Amino acid sequence: MHWTHLLLELILMPLMAFFIGMGMVLTLRKIGAKLQRRIGPPFFQPLYDILKLHAKETQSSHGLIHEIGIVMAIGGYVAAETLLPVPGMNGIAQQGGLITLAYMTMIPSLGLALGVGQCANPNGSIGISRALTAMLAYDVPFILVVFGTAYAAQSTNLVEIIAAQQSDGIASWGLVQNPLLALAGLLALQGMLGKQPFEIYVAPAEIATGPMVEMGGKFLGGLFIMQCFQLYTAGVLYTSLFLGGGENWLTFLVKIFAVVSIPMAIAYLFPRFRTEDLVRFFWKWPTFLALLGLAFVLH
Amino acid sequence: MLPLILPVVLPLLAAFLVMPLARMSALIARALGPIVLTTSLVLLLPCCLDPPAQPLVLAIGNFAPPLGIVFYGDRLALLFANAVALFFLLFWDWRGGNPQQARQDALMLLLAASATGLALSGDLFNLYVFYELAAVASFGLVSLSGTGPALVATVRYLLVSAFGSVLALAGIALLYLQTGTLNLAQLGIDPEPLQGPAGLLAFGLMVIGFGVKAELFPLNYWVPEVYASAPARISALLAGLISKLAVLILLRLLVLVYGDTAAPQILLFLGILTIFFGEFSAWRAQDFPRMIAFSSIGQLGLVFIAFSLSGSWGVLAGIAVALHHLLVKSALFGLAHRWSGSLQALTGSAQRTPLAAALFVLFALSLIGVPPLPGFWTKILVLAGLAQEGSALAFTGLGAILLVTAVEAHYLFRFALQLYEKVENAPAGFRSFWEFLPSLLLGAALLAVTLRINPVADRLRAITQQAADRSFYITQVFPQAAAHRKDQP
Amino acid sequence: MNALDLLFLLSGATLLCALLFGRTRWAAPLLLLGYAAQFVALLQTNALFGEPISLSWSLVVLDQPMHWRYDALSWFFALITLGAGFLSTGYGSGVWMRDYERAGHSAGVLHTALAANVFSMVLLVGAEDFLSLFLGWELLNWATFFLMALRGGIAARAALRYLGYAFTGGMAILGAMALLYAQAGSLEFQPIRESLPQMSDGQLWVLLALLGSGFGIKMGLLPFHLWQAPAYAETPGPGSAFFSAVSARMGLYAMLVFFVGMVGLARLVQMEIPYTFLNGRDLLAWIAVFTIIFPTYTALQQQDARYLLAWHGIGQGGYMVLGVLVGTAEGSAGGLLHIFNHAITQVALLMAVFAVLYRTGTTDLNRLGGLVARMPLTFLTLLFGIISLAGLPPMAGFVSKLLVYRALLFEGMPLLFVGAIIGTLGTILSVYKLIHNIFLGQLRLEHESVQEAPLSMLIPMLSLSLLIFLAGYFPGPTLSWVAAVQAQLGLPVVNYHLGGVYDAHGGFNMIWIVSVLLAGFGIGALVFFGLGGPSKRVHQLDNYAGGHFLYAENRYQYSDHFYAGLMHLIGPWYRGSFQWLERALGSIVDFLAHFTNGFYGIAQPLLWSLAAVLGIAVWVF
Repeated sequence: MHWTHLLLELILMPLMAFFIGMGMVLTLRKIGAKLQRRIGPPFFQPLYDILKLHAKETQSSHGLIHEIGIVMAIGGYVAAETLLPVPGMNGIAQQGGLITLAYMTMIPSLGLALGVGQCANPNGSIGISRALTAMLAYDVPFILVVFGTAYAAQSTNLVEIIAAQQSDGIASWGLVQNPLLALAGLLALQGMLGKQPFEIYVAPAEIATGPMVEMGGKFLGGLFIMQCFQLYTAGVLYTSLFLGGGENWLTFLVKIFAVVSIPMAIAYLFPRFRTEDLVRFFWKWPTFLALLGLAFVLH
Repeated sequence: MLPLILPVVLPLLAAFLVMPLARMSALIARALGPIVLTTSLVLLLPCCLDPPAQPLVLAIGNFAPPLGIVFYGDRLALLFANAVALFFLLFWDWRGGNPQQARQDALMLLLAASATGLALSGDLFNLYVFYELAAVASFGLVSLSGTGPALVATVRYLLVSAFGSVLALAGIALLYLQTGTLNLAQLGIDPEPLQGPAGLLAFGLMVIGFGVKAELFPLNYWVPEVYASAPARISALLAGLISKLAVLILLRLLVLVYGDTAAPQILLFLGILTIFFGEFSAWRAQDFPRMIAFSSIGQLGLVFIAFSLSGSWGVLAGIAVALHHLLVKSALFGLAHRWSGSLQALTGSAQRTPLAAALFVLFALSLIGVPPLPGFWTKILVLAGLAQEGSALAFTGLGAILLVTAVEAHYLFRFALQLYEKVENAPAGFRSFWEFLPSLLLGAALLAVTLRINPVADRLRAITQQAADRSFYITQVFPQAAAHRKDQP
Repeated sequence: MNALDLLFLLSGATLLCALLFGRTRWAAPLLLLGYAAQFVALLQTNALFGEPISLSWSLVVLDQPMHWRYDALSWFFALITLGAGFLSTGYGSGVWMRDYERAGHSAGVLHTALAANVFSMVLLVGAEDFLSLFLGWELLNWATFFLMALRGGIAARAALRYLGYAFTGGMAILGAMALLYAQAGSLEFQPIRESLPQMSDGQLWVLLALLGSGFGIKMGLLPFHLWQAPAYAETPGPGSAFFSAVSARMGLYAMLVFFVGMVGLARLVQMEIPYTFLNGRDLLAWIAVFTIIFPTYTALQQQDARYLLAWHGIGQGGYMVLGVLVGTAEGSAGGLLHIFNHAITQVALLMAVFAVLYRTGTTDLNRLGGLVARMPLTFLTLLFGIISLAGLPPMAGFVSKLLVYRALLFEGMPLLFVGAIIGTLGTILSVYKLIHNIFLGQLRLEHESVQEAPLSMLIPMLSLSLLIFLAGYFPGPTLSWVAAVQAQLGLPVVNYHLGGVYDAHGGFNMIWIVSVLLAGFGIGALVFFGLGGPSKRVHQLDNYAGGHFLYAENRYQYSDHFYAGLMHLIGPWYRGSFQWLERALGSIVDFLAHFTNGFYGIAQPLLWSLAAVLGIAVWVF
């Protein structure tokens, strides 16, 4: 395809991801408000928050790595979005695959970890150690899900996986073909988003919001941006693997918002797990479900 | 035929002359031994370096065999006779100053004479006589220091040696009963009567009997005590040289008489036990002479295993291992001259005497068989031969050798690391390199062999070809019996 | 005299130079020249893309020929060896060596040991029959022992432990050689290769056990891995970096030569284990996966940076074996590529850690922190290294690991896949702890005046960092080497291009991925620096402390028990089974030694002799 087309896609995909992501953050806060019998924030609140944070006068930095960490957090996701195909735009999804995408999303976490490290605050470090442990935990069922879907489609190319699911209507969706994998993936999603009951790495009352303890101003703004991307990526990935991707933008948006709403709804119903309980949880039932689903896929 | 008879007779004579001469002139008495040994060497060396086409055969007193005693000097026998003269010169007590000097020199010469006889004789009973003579000489030499442990060790050695001699004699008697002759070549002409159980029992008895000197299990319990309490030079000679000569007797019997029977199985089985008991005991040794004494037991087990392999492969492997051990073990005992204390006390010795420590490392590497040192080639000969045998016992032997070599490597280099440890007060050790000159020379020889491994291998093969050929031996001793042989070559 | 002769000659000459001139000031430049000359000779052999080249001189001992030949596989390993030797010597020259000698050690001995290692490796990878292989193997074992033991003390003890393992492995190889000789009548590769198809499965299992153990001990495969971490960690700086790069991989070289080149993976798959659904290849693959997992999580718990990295070195070896065993074009490419990628990664990491050791005097992770402010370039090296070790884009480690994962995926091996991923996740956790405890967090008072690493150390470190990045950005050249090795070993060849791999299942192109990533960083930087106001640098004590006032003497750093939550769960799973096994074997040897020693202490041994005679009598009749 023509390089101008490609360039346009590479610019548009992250941009759209950002805006849709902001919409998801809004949805998150609205759902939470409704569950807690409040009204919730106005429509543009996430944007206002980000702008406000960036506009603050005092921006405390603990060093160059602190700043580069946030850059990596944002930049990693910007790059990852180009690997996620959306209706009409494939970006460079053909040049990297599902596994590359999975690893690409680890870079923002690493960047964040480095940035938090230089903050020289033990609360932050504890938070990161818990976050990494949580990643170890939910990645096991997640990776089994990735394996299963890629093996079933005999390809790691997301474009092909989506095309395979759109070939025969709802019957060919991943959700219908491999329901166990879909269930395991949903549980893994909950962990990936870091939502209750798996938000031990934040633990506001215990370790003073963990990694975010020394993040203020544009640093926190950067993390907000990262959260937008994170929600978007998780939703779109799940949709692409199990809900048949997006034939057009309307169905696509409905699907991804639906997917992301589920963990949000569940999040407010549970207390928090301890780190080792979190690990134990993820390595038990979701992994078992995923393995069972895999067994179906492989035979 | 002088090279055959003089190296036996002259030292014997000199042994008896030394004591009276010592009363008249200490200098002449001291010089007599080296002169005699040098004469032997001068006579024997040309035969070794430029071997004659036919082996030297001498009927003593012109009494023809099988009634008379015959001396058979093929390349193997001449090699060992040379080795006797050379090593006795190397490990001669040059410094003197011993209160029992004359007695020691006399006993040494007696040992040299009997050792040469062991190498050259072709009559079974004659071999037994030389064996006993060597035993008596070694009793005297070992107990010469007069210390308590030495005397106790000698008594134990005496007892087991006597017991072994009784067994060997019983074996010889049984053999004579079956065949009516004691001449090795004669036995070889018609080995039929000995192929049955009686013959095997005779062989077994002789193995155990002669195995005392050859440090074979289960008669080698005298070894650690004796080698630890005897002077290092004596231990070197006993462990290096005399043990091999004892094996030589068994080799001759094996080649001439018992080649096709189950006799090698006895050697293999006992060899495996020997190597196992020897090396594992060395693991716990607390002082240097005992450690290498146990190692020597192990290596002799390897010699027995090697000789148990069938055909000329076994003979080649056995000779190679035996010669290698002769070189290395004698050299190690040469180092034990000063390193006689506990292993702990030797920590850090490499600081004062780096050359001695380096020599130890060289010998240790060759013992455990690290290429390109000769020890490796000898070991792989044995291992390949065992693999080719293919029997269950052979595979057990293969596994045992590999296992104990690993153990050996560990304890040898545990000690080597101790030598090289950095400590404040390094022990004095050797005062000058003259004190371990024999070891130095033998180390140089080892390196020379490493560099010229192919010519050495060719020579060994030529020696083996002669030694493993039964009909050749018989036709050499009995030229007229060639036409009347009843057996197949 | 052809190029290979020249290479061997130069290698020996370098060793001689180290022996004779090691103590002088000119040792380091001379040796660097020597290694560079060897490298040039290696390039001249053209063994990688051209024809294999034989040594003009061969040795025949006891009718067994010993000859040497360089082919693509040899070239590949020799390249890594010479590169590691060169960089380690460069690193250890100058300031580090002056410090080392002031501590009372001998520079000459270190240089000699390193040159001996390089020489024996150059010999080993050229072996064309089992005798020359064993010669090179033993020389390497002893050279390694020498380099490990020369510092004395705890290093000597670790070296003795290594010797126990390595020599047992050598004996296993010797036993296998004896069996092969009995079977094939020769120790040369060609006759053995021809006689292998006639061997029964049982015989092949014995060979697999013996040679697998022998080579696996050197490689550090489970359960023979316990010696490696202490031995490599306690070796002095340049030696440790050299070991971790390539020393263990010599075991892999031998495995590739025998199991892949001669026996063939197809035959391994045919060898079934009765009563299970596993075959020979599965067994090895599972050993590889456990080698990935267990040492990685042991590394997680280490308090000393060198030990942490040494344990990772063991774990990463598992990836190489796993990749090769999968056998497809991508899998074996990943495994082989990982040898190179891991070598450059591990050397860079260890160099950074030893630079920290040089400047601060410690590698204890609980006594460091915040050094990024004082040693930024060392931090950069370590950062590149850990990203590569964890297998994240854009560094080299990502490419080789991705290939292995994809191969496992498309061959339908989910459990192995999960095992490999668990290993990677553990690596991420572990290397974050490494970089956090050394460079991030609070800078300690005693390290306030620490300076950046000296130039002699920085140059190798930074060049390696650049290499790691470039090998990740443009994997084409390294993939071309790997393809040549695959062709020579008879494995399917990977379809590579400058940026990655073509594949019907969906290839990948690192050039695109890394470029987009860098562009993403650019956009992130635009947003961050452009949108927000100017940042104000605050002191590290200007920090949230729940209302407390922070003093410089306070240790406000989270470093000990870094993954406490995880350790609550998996800590009890570590029962020290392998150490128990090792101790048990040691006890058995001790017991046997007691038993045999007892025989030599009994008072009336003549009974035994009588018993022996009676035994013979019974046996005879």
